[in-house]
Amino acid sequence: MGVSPRSADDSPVHRLNPLTKLVFAVTVTVSAFALTMTWWPLLLFCAAVLPMVIASGTLRKFFPMLLALWVPIALTVYVIQGFFYPETSRVVAEIGPLELKYEGLVFATQTALRIMVLMGGFFLLLLTTRPGALMSAMTQRGMSPKTVYVVSAALQIAPALAGRAQGILHAQQARGLPVKGLRGRVRALVPMAGPLILGALTDVGDRAVAMETRGFGTSRRPTFLTEVPDTAAQRVARTVMGLCALTAVVANVFGVLR
Amino acid sequence: MGGPAALLALCGYTLGAMLTVSGAVAGLPTTTVALLPVAITINIVMGKIVYFSGLPLQLDSIGTVLVGVLAGPAAGAATGALASIVVGMTITPGALPYAVTAALIGFVAGTLARAGWFRRVPTALLAGGVIGVFAGVVSAPITAFVFGNAGGTVGQSAVIATFQAYGNSMLKAASLQGLVADPLDKALTVALALTLLAGLPSGYVHRFPFVQQHRVLAVHRLVPRRT
Repeated sequence: MGVSPRSADDSPVHRLNPLTKLVFAVTVTVSAFALTMTWWPLLLFCAAVLPMVIASGTLRKFFPMLLALWVPIALTVYVIQGFFYPETSRVVAEIGPLELKYEGLVFATQTALRIMVLMGGFFLLLLTTRPGALMSAMTQRGMSPKTVYVVSAALQIAPALAGRAQGILHAQQARGLPVKGLRGRVRALVPMAGPLILGALTDVGDRAVAMETRGFGTSRRPTFLTEVPDTAAQRVARTVMGLCALTAVVANVFGVLR
Repeated sequence: MGGPAALLALCGYTLGAMLTVSGAVAGLPTTTVALLPVAITINIVMGKIVYFSGLPLQLDSIGTVLVGVLAGPAAGAATGALASIVVGMTITPGALPYAVTAALIGFVAGTLARAGWFRRVPTALLAGGVIGVFAGVVSAPITAFVFGNAGGTVGQSAVIATFQAYGNSMLKAASLQGLVADPLDKALTVALALTLLAGLPSGYVHRFPFVQQHRVLAVHRLVPRRT
């Protein structure tokens, strides 16, 4: 799936506690949406997100991923809001019957930049953090082991299903299912997907029994095999970022900086 | 412009999703917990296939509806919210703000299943329509304020642009698009979920106490009701 290629390399950003990076992503997102100056999210992106990305050494992966998702959204928002933004007065240009409006363009710029910060912050988290490490950090902070299991298992289930899909395909081909050409592939979808999904669903019962025999769902707090490293400086940084986000929200609510 | 509404939609929805997950997951039995990852995978795979087909449909809640019907509103809500988080961690962070919508889809599906709407096909499809109305209305603030009405597929954006061109406000255009597309989308979702249920061995659904207690599905007319 999309964002799985995670660099194995090491950097100060990679070594940060996953929670610190999560709080960072949330804080930049909230700040980007809280202040209403049009170019503020771009400043935030260049001053906060970009330095972190450069420090992590993932620039080459970060930008293709960000642009692949962000450019279509940005283009769409410019087209829709540039031409069809409600209650506008200033017309910048006329293209055929359509009028390009100033207010629409300002709104589109602001929205596109905000989305860039949202995606940038979370891509930084994803590129520099193994999902497993994030999940262990969350468990150690008191998140329910059931939630952690569901997310971790959902992240790992795709490779397992791909292997089984191959097996089903071979079994159906052995029964004479033609899978050559586009039409054959589309027609093979139902005899492929049926056994795959139903098989995955029927496995659930056995897995639940296996999990219970291993003590899943116990009400006691488990101990941890690996402690996720954390430092006092990061704890302080998380508190400061949390306060920044809170300040931004309060400023937004009371209409300061508008 | 758009500031407070965008922030309110974003923060309120995220907080709602977090509370939903922490509240709903804790009480689930292990059989249901083991079902959730599979349901989430079904959501993601179908959602991707439909997304790349370019249709103005989503069909990314089949697993959520399935869990809602088999295991009840709380389990359905947890499936939806966690599916959004998993998509946010693997495919696009743009799915994260929609976590509450996804949770609501599972919750409504479970509630209607408890009320017996899934016993017959016509009422089940109607249930899909009702789920779609909820989904359309609740996702509209996110689509309008956070994504500037540009977050969805090309088809969705085209419909929204049309509504805005006829002079509707952004929120109204997003809501109208939701009310036009989502009931159909969710009715199809329910139909596909029922097809999956019909393919499962009959003993399988009996494992879920919710199905037995509330006689959720028609086949259980033969099973004596537990009181």
